[in-house]
Amino acid sequence: MSTGPLLRLTGLTKSYPGVTALDDLTLELPHGRIGLVGANGAGKSTMFRILLGLSHPTAGHVEVCGIDVARDPIGVRSRLGYMPEHDCLSLDQTAADVVSTFGELSGLPPRAARQRASDILDLVGLDEARFRPISGFSTGMRQRTKLAQALVGDPELVLLDEPTAGLDPIGREEMLQLVDRLGTFGISVLMATHLLDDVQAVCDHVVMINAGKLVVSGATNSLLERTGLVTIDVGRHTEELLAGLAGAGVSAVAVDGVVEATVGDDAQMDLVRDVVAELRLPLFRLSTRLRTLDEAFVRRSEELA
Amino acid sequence: MSSVAGSADAGRGAVYDRGYRPYEGPRGRRGAATLALYKASMRRALGLRRTWRQKVAPFVLLAVVTIPAIVNVGIGYVARDRFDGFQIITYREYVGVSSALLLFVALVAPDVMCPDRRQKVLPLMFARPLLGTDYVLAKVGSIASILFAFSYLPQVVLFLGNMLVSDAALDYFTGHLDVLWKVPLSILVLAVYYAMIGCALSSLTDRRIVAGASVIGLFLLTSIASGVIVDQTDGPGGGGGGGYGGLLNVLAMPLHLRDVIFLGHVDASSQLGGVAGGGWLALACYLLVLSAGASVLWWRYRWVER
Repeated sequence: MSTGPLLRLTGLTKSYPGVTALDDLTLELPHGRIGLVGANGAGKSTMFRILLGLSHPTAGHVEVCGIDVARDPIGVRSRLGYMPEHDCLSLDQTAADVVSTFGELSGLPPRAARQRASDILDLVGLDEARFRPISGFSTGMRQRTKLAQALVGDPELVLLDEPTAGLDPIGREEMLQLVDRLGTFGISVLMATHLLDDVQAVCDHVVMINAGKLVVSGATNSLLERTGLVTIDVGRHTEELLAGLAGAGVSAVAVDGVVEATVGDDAQMDLVRDVVAELRLPLFRLSTRLRTLDEAFVRRSEELA
Repeated sequence: MSSVAGSADAGRGAVYDRGYRPYEGPRGRRGAATLALYKASMRRALGLRRTWRQKVAPFVLLAVVTIPAIVNVGIGYVARDRFDGFQIITYREYVGVSSALLLFVALVAPDVMCPDRRQKVLPLMFARPLLGTDYVLAKVGSIASILFAFSYLPQVVLFLGNMLVSDAALDYFTGHLDVLWKVPLSILVLAVYYAMIGCALSSLTDRRIVAGASVIGLFLLTSIASGVIVDQTDGPGGGGGGGYGGLLNVLAMPLHLRDVIFLGHVDASSQLGGVAGGGWLALACYLLVLSAGASVLWWRYRWVER
């Protein structure tokens, strides 16, 4: 694994006639699980194509794992795995054949490719189905096969384009668990999605782009700022708590069966706790509400606008 | 990395999570990727690792193109006392059993090229250490290799059979040494040409049926058109010089070169028979068609390196 940053983009711009897909992006991203977030048409797929060396930037400079993409696109592709959003598998072949063929295309000797295909299909949960034609696979199984072909070459970085697209809730959860595990294997992940919940669930770092411009880039936790609200769940005693908090001078409202109180400092937090105790109410939950990534995205976009 | 994820009770089964093992062995680059794609395309064309239905066409074709050799050798053996050196078909004529090979190209080239576009596999391939030129080389190479093998194998049967049924096998061998280079060279010329045309036409569409019809259509239409032109201009009332119309016959171009390789000149009975410098013209047209095919393929896969 390279020791420098995973990705280094300097003034990256990609223009098509009448459209600027990426606009002067400058970024340095660490190894780990990174979420690339943006609405449809934000420039995520364009960035993937540039990282793979399949599209040349109009201006700027890109390094992946310390390799200049413009100078050595083949070297970069040898270190990457790519899982596109759309269907991209030969339907009349078995999963084992598809994955082992892509292993060989990644430069692995045939024997090693077959062995790794077997191991990786086992890892993604397709060990039983690996000798079945892909045409008979469900959407979830096809997504897993796509992930397997991305991993078979033992990449340093894997690019995942909307990996949970089209999956049911269970399939989505399982796919996110797989993505989460990749980090423990030493494989960095760049996951493009417009589902901020997915990013919040598995990514250490978030890059948000909108209309080709960088909205924000930072560690996921640093973006989940405190909102100054605490959520208090006292079961069916909401009205009593609201009255008690009002008496103590704490501003609070009922939202979806729980109470949200505005607390400015630790003393007010203690006051909230004391009110609940004095009223002898059952306390099911007392938590600081963090800003969601959705809120961070909207707020930063508005600031930029 | 491995762990026990299930019960470890004695006498009971356990589920092992084998985890992920990094690959630390040798790793190839463009050459290895191109070779891998070449082999995968060969397997696909021959129907290997596919259902039995996909195996039928190539191996039926192999049987069909081998039948003349077997018949020739069989009759030669039976009639060896009456005829010395019996021949139904000559080595030259056996190069390019055109209609069978044409059918094969029309079936296989679309099958090797079109699904990659239709099923959107190309982005996955080009996310590997592979360039557009490597892709084209692997695809054209795989089809050309199969065409070469399927044309060469019957010739080997014919040669060995004739040698064994002749009165003096060694004399037959030494008397036909020229065949040992003329046959493979002619077949190579033919295989590359048909493979290039088949791949170029197949790259223009993602529908196999359209690509196959285009391949057959191109060969048939140019063949018919050139025949009509030659007949009209060389027939009664024609101005002569119709032999040049034979240059339109895309199907026959490698066969003219085959004649040049075997005879040293274009066959007098062919459409180019009466044309001065017919061999050179055939070579020029051959190279022109190959260049056109390569240009089409470059144009279709140029986006990969954009």
